[in-house]
Amino acid sequence: MRYDSITDAIGNTPLVRIDPAVHGLRNIDLYAKLELLNPFGSVKDRAAWNMARPHLSAAAEGSGQVVELSSGNTAKALAVLAGMHGLTFKSVTNRMRIPEIKDLLLLLGAEIEELPGQSECLDPTATDDPLTLFHRTLSEPDSTYLHTDQYFNPRNTEAHFTGTGPEIVKDLDGRAPNWFIACVGTAGSSTGVARALREHDPAVRVAGLVAAKSDFIPGIRTIDEAHEVGLFDPGTYDSIETVSADEAIEGMLTLNRRCGILAGPTGGAAYFGAVRQLRAVDEELAGEGSSDRQSAVFIVCDRVESYLSYVRQRRPDLFGRPRRRNSPADLSDAEIRTAPAIGVTDAQAWIATGEPLVVDLRSPYAYAALHIDGSVNIVEELFEELLHGGLPFSRNRPVLLACPVGEKSARYAALLTRMGHPDVRSLTGGIIAWRDAGAPLVRD
Amino acid sequence: MGGQPLYLEPRLEPRLRSLLDAPALLHTLTDALGSPLNMVVPDQLADNLQQFRSVYGTHHLSGQVYFAHKANRSSALLRRLAATDAGVDVASLAELQHALGAGLTPDRIAATGPKNPEFLWLAARTSVTVSLDTRGELEQLATLVRKHALPRVRILLRLSGFEASGVRVLSRRSRFGTAVGESGPLLEDVERHADVVDLVGVAYHLDTTSLTEKATALEGCLRVLEECRSRGLRPRAVDIGGGFGVNYLAHGGQWEQYTTGLTEAVLGSRPPLTYGGHGYGLRNEAGTLRGTLGLYPAHRPVAGARYLDELLSHPAASLGGRPLAALLLEHLYDLHTEPGRALLDQCGLTLTKVLEVRGQESGGPLLVRLAAKADDVALEEHGVLMDPVVVPRHPPGTGADVGAGPDAGAEPVAVHLFGSLCLESDLITRRTVFLPRRPEPGDLLAFANTAGYCMDFHATRAQHQPSARKVAAWQEGDTWRWCLDDQYWPTTPVGGAQ
Ligand SMILES: Cc1ncc(COP(=O)(O)O)c(C=O)c1O
Repeated sequence: MRYDSITDAIGNTPLVRIDPAVHGLRNIDLYAKLELLNPFGSVKDRAAWNMARPHLSAAAEGSGQVVELSSGNTAKALAVLAGMHGLTFKSVTNRMRIPEIKDLLLLLGAEIEELPGQSECLDPTATDDPLTLFHRTLSEPDSTYLHTDQYFNPRNTEAHFTGTGPEIVKDLDGRAPNWFIACVGTAGSSTGVARALREHDPAVRVAGLVAAKSDFIPGIRTIDEAHEVGLFDPGTYDSIETVSADEAIEGMLTLNRRCGILAGPTGGAAYFGAVRQLRAVDEELAGEGSSDRQSAVFIVCDRVESYLSYVRQRRPDLFGRPRRRNSPADLSDAEIRTAPAIGVTDAQAWIATGEPLVVDLRSPYAYAALHIDGSVNIVEELFEELLHGGLPFSRNRPVLLACPVGEKSARYAALLTRMGHPDVRSLTGGIIAWRDAGAPLVRD
Repeated sequence: MGGQPLYLEPRLEPRLRSLLDAPALLHTLTDALGSPLNMVVPDQLADNLQQFRSVYGTHHLSGQVYFAHKANRSSALLRRLAATDAGVDVASLAELQHALGAGLTPDRIAATGPKNPEFLWLAARTSVTVSLDTRGELEQLATLVRKHALPRVRILLRLSGFEASGVRVLSRRSRFGTAVGESGPLLEDVERHADVVDLVGVAYHLDTTSLTEKATALEGCLRVLEECRSRGLRPRAVDIGGGFGVNYLAHGGQWEQYTTGLTEAVLGSRPPLTYGGHGYGLRNEAGTLRGTLGLYPAHRPVAGARYLDELLSHPAASLGGRPLAALLLEHLYDLHTEPGRALLDQCGLTLTKVLEVRGQESGGPLLVRLAAKADDVALEEHGVLMDPVVVPRHPPGTGADVGAGPDAGAEPVAVHLFGSLCLESDLITRRTVFLPRRPEPGDLLAFANTAGYCMDFHATRAQHQPSARKVAAWQEGDTWRWCLDDQYWPTTPVGGAQ
């Protein structure tokens, strides 16, 4: 496959059959449309390209900027497309809650503007919310913005009506599937594909999936939020069901681990919603004893890699690593309580005569601001890491450990003692007690 | 009535619940003192303070919790606070006088907000800490101290306009504080006036529910404090203001159902949920929902002390990713907070008497007229949606109903609550309120939590209607005791005039 431009690689994504051993449906073939294999990583590449393409060269004449309200994938595609055409891109949103995506966008040269949180002392009569102000600047007469307007732009839907939908029909040997299941974000992909499939076969049943209201699944909307989307028409869907974040992650893990499809949470939500919906249908088909097989297609919007922190927050168990040696977590309360310690006055005397190595466990910023003269700074995380490998200093050198209030240093004093250090002590009350006693702190 | 009733039950902690379980007292009080009546429960304030203190404790932080006085005018609450170890943040001359008069010593008072000369003078005269908004205010204070030979004043510099690194946050512009970008010249002024002012630290107060915006501001403050230290100044504290929020509702599910119902009503797919189809900022444009919901997020799982805890646990992205609390602690800074609304959570309620209950010919919601003005309750002003609690005059199972079971025959009703002003706009709530039973004239409707925060912002004397009286109530064993707000002193609860 040889292309002149990366944009030629948008679309024509594979339709992959999910192993029946995984989903357990006996009379339905379930297929995943792998939009994650688009060049910029998601289903949004199609819409972004279709919306921006007619205007890019004109915009490039002036010093235009592409702007969109996007929390992720559309922004990613638009940032690349803008850059390829010598334009800048700005995303305005209050939904960008995935740090990896934010960083990736910055890396791609995007400018991100976040909408502020709601006022705590609300003025319910205020009409100028930041979004209204944003739209006002866009419509100023001499504005040079190219606003792709994904939630209202029919070219978003069209990209899927002419691309994604027909591709599915082609790969199913000219037949539309019996079922089509998709998550609703801008509603562009679900609406466009549904329309194309129904043109082939009006009997296609379309299921829309939204996030449960108290949940957050990046990229898809709750039912209330869907009503804010110009492309959203409830009539498109035979049913609209909700999926929880937990269910989305569950579905994602199945696709990742058992199908080799590195889908993100919305792909997982679509898989989970599809199987849930189809299970009842499958049983009916079995009951009827019909020999006709049905088929179903769901969309895998994007890839898992960007969502690691999202998943870690909700399912820390998935990231559990084996316990390490010499960890402060292994200490008993009694060991910590009886850890060798020394008060400020005695510590001052000890420093003057015994020359202990003074280790300050605080962050480098705090250490740089003020510290005990002559101390070394080994930030706690690093210190813990060092100890996994064994004692980091000689047994012959006494050690004084210091932290803000003497709590963490007590743990490490206990741990070092257990590891065989004969003369380690924790500064009682920490640097705060040191300061409060009027003992000198320096910045050097 | 059109579908299931959409309740928004208020969250009631044991104290308010117990007070509402004493209907005889509530009726006696409103009979004697009139409707509306604001009741405050000072002991709750002390409990709320403890919750904030325990968050300080888990993070090993020291520093003061200042009650933001502007949130409530009650003397009882302030005097109860004086009997704790909390501070008060005052924003006017009268508030400062009130705080001093309630027994708060100057070391426990901080003056914030825009200041006139009288306010500045009394603050400086009594040695309370002054939070300065601008270079001009610093200049004014320095001049005043010199001219009147006042003692050296402890000051904080209130900053605003913090920028997140990498991502620009479109902030609602704050009118208060000096932009961090301008902190250089401000610090030069502080150095110049070192003989009359003593820089204690920096401050911010952001009016936002967003944790990340506040975290950004706190990181910004840490950076300015570092700048202070490198100039040889010796700051000790960061004041992060208030705005930690209140959770008003008992059930998150009700809030979700209600807001979904509201969008459906605005889009026309269910009957209106408000008087005259008001959309609370939402509107229907060709089948698409537009606008912004102008409502306080009434159900907030993370509010008050828990919000502070989350903020302090938030990683400081631009300073190595350690939690903000750890950074404050390691830098040896005190943390000051100024919660207003959150400290007043569950500290009071507003009682209003039902004057009239009228059915409509069209069969729509009942029209219920209350002996109160919308401004007395001020739920709409604050965008807070929450049901009142019906306190019947004749509790079911007594008097006329003897023999009937508890609340026998009680059926849910939809009502519109009107105030007593002869203005079409005097709606206690613009939304259709669902009550578990039909109220009768003489019943009380109790608005939980409003006497804590909402009441004093808007209460007026329009139409010669008196504004609500205020009483303080406390528990002695199983009984509730009360006195007029102004009669309350911390000595009162333990036995009156001893
Ligand atoms: C300077 C300052 N501090 C504290 C507060 C209190 O905030 P809250 O009542 O939301 O806790 C306010 C409220 O306006 C304020 O202006």
